[in-house]
Amino acid sequence: MDKRPEVPVEGTDSNARGQASTAPAWRSVTRATNPFRGGSLLIGRLTEHGRANYQFRRDENASYFVKLLTSRGAKTLWGKDLERALNAGETRPKIGDLIGARRVAREAVTVTARQRVADGRIVTEEAHHAHRTRWVVEKVKFFAERARLARRLRDEQADVRETVRAHPELKSTFLSVRAAQEFAARRIADPKDRERFLTLMREAMAASIQKGEPLPELRLRDPSIAEEVTKGVRTPRPDDPTR
Amino acid sequence: MNATSPLPSSRGILSDPEASEWLKSAFKSAAERDPVDALNDALLLAATLEERLRSELDLL
Repeated sequence: MDKRPEVPVEGTDSNARGQASTAPAWRSVTRATNPFRGGSLLIGRLTEHGRANYQFRRDENASYFVKLLTSRGAKTLWGKDLERALNAGETRPKIGDLIGARRVAREAVTVTARQRVADGRIVTEEAHHAHRTRWVVEKVKFFAERARLARRLRDEQADVRETVRAHPELKSTFLSVRAAQEFAARRIADPKDRERFLTLMREAMAASIQKGEPLPELRLRDPSIAEEVTKGVRTPRPDDPTR
Repeated sequence: MNATSPLPSSRGILSDPEASEWLKSAFKSAAERDPVDALNDALLLAATLEERLRSELDLL
């Protein structure tokens, strides 16, 4: 039998992976196929959610579950971050809503694996490095809106001022694009490399928005850049190239 | 605290003022069919409707 040390891992799907477990150490971790590995959007009707021990097992750590009725049957998601995602999200889904759930990041965490004896006493404790999955759980319309915003950002022909007026939440994003353009203009000599850098940057930001991740917050040392994005006014700066 | 919503019964759906007329009508129609065929078609319908939603709303 496989006797690998237990590696506590955040539970991220309906049936497959263990997480931050209090189960006996030296237990192997099952890694079944994850139907939505890679952060694709799981869509379904929210039927139940709450705190429970992982996989509803008494010897597992406290976790959080979200049950969905999907077009392919019932799914249960597990992960401590699901509670935050549901309560701190923008749309705060309720039971009966059609929602989307997506894993957006994995964060490194240190967890303690405990071995217990029959009466529940802990006999050994061991710290392990593991990863906690970060989730976005929102009503489906949130993801549709994000897809629309991502399209706006990808559209290089779009009028930035008009877009920011219509979607003020994109202001920081366009400021980031503007900052990248300034950086590229100063530091990247080859126009093709410059263009490639900006395309990659724009695409990465659009993908992040579309996934549902928080929109960037940008603090500017030079407020004239914000004015430039919102009003189209270009204020000369001391480090601007001179002719 | 846990939030839960058990699946409603057929009677529950038909008497639910919040349930759409489309759902009620589909349910009545399905109730007259062979249950295996009805569920098989309903699953196909659900999967197809999800694909349509993903496509129309550009959901990845």
